[in-house]
Amino acid sequence: MLKDRVAVVTGAGRGIGRGVALGLAAQGAKVVVNDFGVNTDGSAPSSGPAFDVVNEITAAGGEAAANTDSVSTWDGGAGIVGTAVKHFGRIDILVTCAGILRDRMIFNMSEEEFDSVLAVHLKGTFNCVRHAAPLMREQRFGRIVTFSSGSGLFGNPGQANYGSAKAAISGLTKVAARDLGKYGVTANSICPVAATRMTLTPEVMRAREIRKQQGIIREERALNQLENLKPEDVAPMVAFLASDYAANINGQFFLCAGPSVSLISLPRPLKTIYKAGRWTLDELDELVPLTLTEGLVNPAPPRA
Amino acid sequence: MGSRLKGKVAVITGAGRGIGRGIALLMAQEGAAVVVNDLGGEIDGSGRSTSAADAVVGEIKAGGGQAVANYDSVADFAAAENIVQTAVKSFGKIDILVNNAGILRDRMLFNLSEADWDAVIAVHLKGAFNCTRHATRRMREQRTPGRVISMSSTSGLYGNSGQANYGAAKDGIAGLTRVASRDVGKYGITINAIAPAAATRMTATVSQAAREARKQRGVASMGAEARSMLPRPQLDPDDVAPFATYLATDAAANINGQIFVVMGGIISLLNYPAPVRTITAAERWTAEEIAALFPSTLGMDLFNPAPARTE
Repeated sequence: MLKDRVAVVTGAGRGIGRGVALGLAAQGAKVVVNDFGVNTDGSAPSSGPAFDVVNEITAAGGEAAANTDSVSTWDGGAGIVGTAVKHFGRIDILVTCAGILRDRMIFNMSEEEFDSVLAVHLKGTFNCVRHAAPLMREQRFGRIVTFSSGSGLFGNPGQANYGSAKAAISGLTKVAARDLGKYGVTANSICPVAATRMTLTPEVMRAREIRKQQGIIREERALNQLENLKPEDVAPMVAFLASDYAANINGQFFLCAGPSVSLISLPRPLKTIYKAGRWTLDELDELVPLTLTEGLVNPAPPRA
Repeated sequence: MGSRLKGKVAVITGAGRGIGRGIALLMAQEGAAVVVNDLGGEIDGSGRSTSAADAVVGEIKAGGGQAVANYDSVADFAAAENIVQTAVKSFGKIDILVNNAGILRDRMLFNLSEADWDAVIAVHLKGAFNCTRHATRRMREQRTPGRVISMSSTSGLYGNSGQANYGAAKDGIAGLTRVASRDVGKYGITINAIAPAAATRMTATVSQAAREARKQRGVASMGAEARSMLPRPQLDPDDVAPFATYLATDAAANINGQIFVVMGGIISLLNYPAPVRTITAAERWTAEEIAALFPSTLGMDLFNPAPARTE
C-alpha cells in the first residue's frame, strides 16, 4: 500500500509511534524512526529506542534509518526531516507521535510543567510539519498525520498543559489541511486510546493496587479495558491515511481505540440566538437559560 | 448602570482597545472594579505604551466606575502574576478574569517563521495559561466563586487558511478551557470561552487578497460568509461585551467548560467534539480492510476543505 513511499515517524521508539513505524514499514514504506529516547516526563535522552525499532524493521526485510533529534527545537525538526531526504531522497509521510506528560491541577502547575509539554507536543508538531510542508508542496504530494487527544477535545482534569497542546495540534492540523490541501497534501489527526507507558503510569498502577485492596471494581474494569487497547492497534488507520486511498480525506479527526475507529465531529454551532442589534443583559438573563444553556451539565459542579 | 457585578473585581487583558475595551466598560457599568491590562503594543506584538490602558481607565472613571491600569505582558509568567496581584492590591481580590489579549502574524504554513509561530503562541496560549493559572490559584485560596472567560476563535475551531499559529493558539485555548474547567469547577469557579467575530484593528490586518483567496477556494471562514448576510456587516467589537459580561454574572454560575461563538447579534453554543460514526472489529483492522470499508462508513459525506488542484 505504501511501496516506495518515505515516512518519518516521531516518537517511534516505543508505544504508538513504534507500532506506526512497524506498520508503515510492513506496507512497504521506508521509515525514519525518530526518538529522543527520554522518559515520559522528558528526562534522560538515549539513542537506544530508535535504533531498536530500526533493527526490528530491517530484520523483517524493511528499510529504515534512525534519528535521535528532539522534535522540540526548530533545528531538531529540520534534522528529522533532513534525515529522510538524506537517506531516502524525499519525504511523503509525516506522523507526529512524540509526546511527554507532566500532569498537575492548573492552579498548582508550574511554568516549566506547562512549557515542557507544550514544547514537545505543540512546537514539536509544528517544527516537523513546518519543515516537511515546503518539500511536500514542491512535490505535490504529502500525508501529514498528527496526534491529538481526547484530553483536549473532551477535557481531562489535571492536564491543562497536555490538553492545551493537543487541542492546539487539532487547530494546527485544521489550518495545515487548508494551507496545503490544494498542493496534494492532506493533514489529518488521530486521537488514540491505548495502553502505553504514558497512560499506564506508575501512579495509575499504584492507585490500581489501592483500589484492588478496597474492592473497587468499576475502575478496575475500565483499566482492564485500557490494557486490551494495544498501541499497535493505531497503525492500520495511520497507514490507510498515508495511502493513495485517502487522497481526499483532509482536515479530519479519528478516534482509534483498539479495534475501533471513529470519525470525530468538528466544532459546529448547536444552538443559536439572533438579534438584529446588540443584546442587553436583561434580554440575555431572560433568554439564555431557556435557549443556549438549557440542559447544559456542569462537568465539575461546585461542592456544597 | 446596572448592579449585576457590584462588589466584584474583574481583570481584562488586552482591554485598551477593541473587544477587551468593550468588555471592560460594560463590566464597570455593571458595578465591577476593573483592572484594565494592556501593554499598548502594535498588532504584531512590537512596541509598548501606557496610553491605551490609561484611556480606558479614564473612560471608566469618568462614568463613575472604579478602574486601575496595568501594562504587563500576559506572555510572561511572572508578569501575569503581577496582573492578578494588581487586582488584589487595588481592590482586595479577583473574581473575574477575561483572557482577551492577542496579536496576529498571518502567513501560509510553509512560509511561517519560527519567530512568528512563537510570538503568537506566547501571547494567546501561554498568556491565557499564565493568567488563568495565577487567577484560579488566587480564587481557590479566596474560597469565593470565580469566572474565567477566554477568547478563542473560529480560526482554530473551524480552521482558517494562513493562520497556523493563531489557529493553533486559539484551538489550544479551547482545550485549556475544557480541561481547566474540570480542574476548578468544584471550587465554584467556571471557565468558558468565546469565539468572537468583530471588525477590530486585528482583523483589519488580514489582507483583502487573503480574504479573496479564501473565498475563491471555498474556504472562507464561516464568520466571513455569515457576516456578508448580516444587516450590519461591520461587526462592532462592543457586541461581544454583553454575553461576556453575562457569563461573569451569578446567572451563569453553572455554565462551565463551554465554548460560544459571538458575532454581532448572533450567539451560538458550540458542540463538544464526539465520535459520530464508528467501525469496530473483534480484532485489529488491517489497513486494507479500512481502505475497503472507509468510503461507505466513516468517510460518507466527508468534506475536503481544500481539494488538490489538478494542473
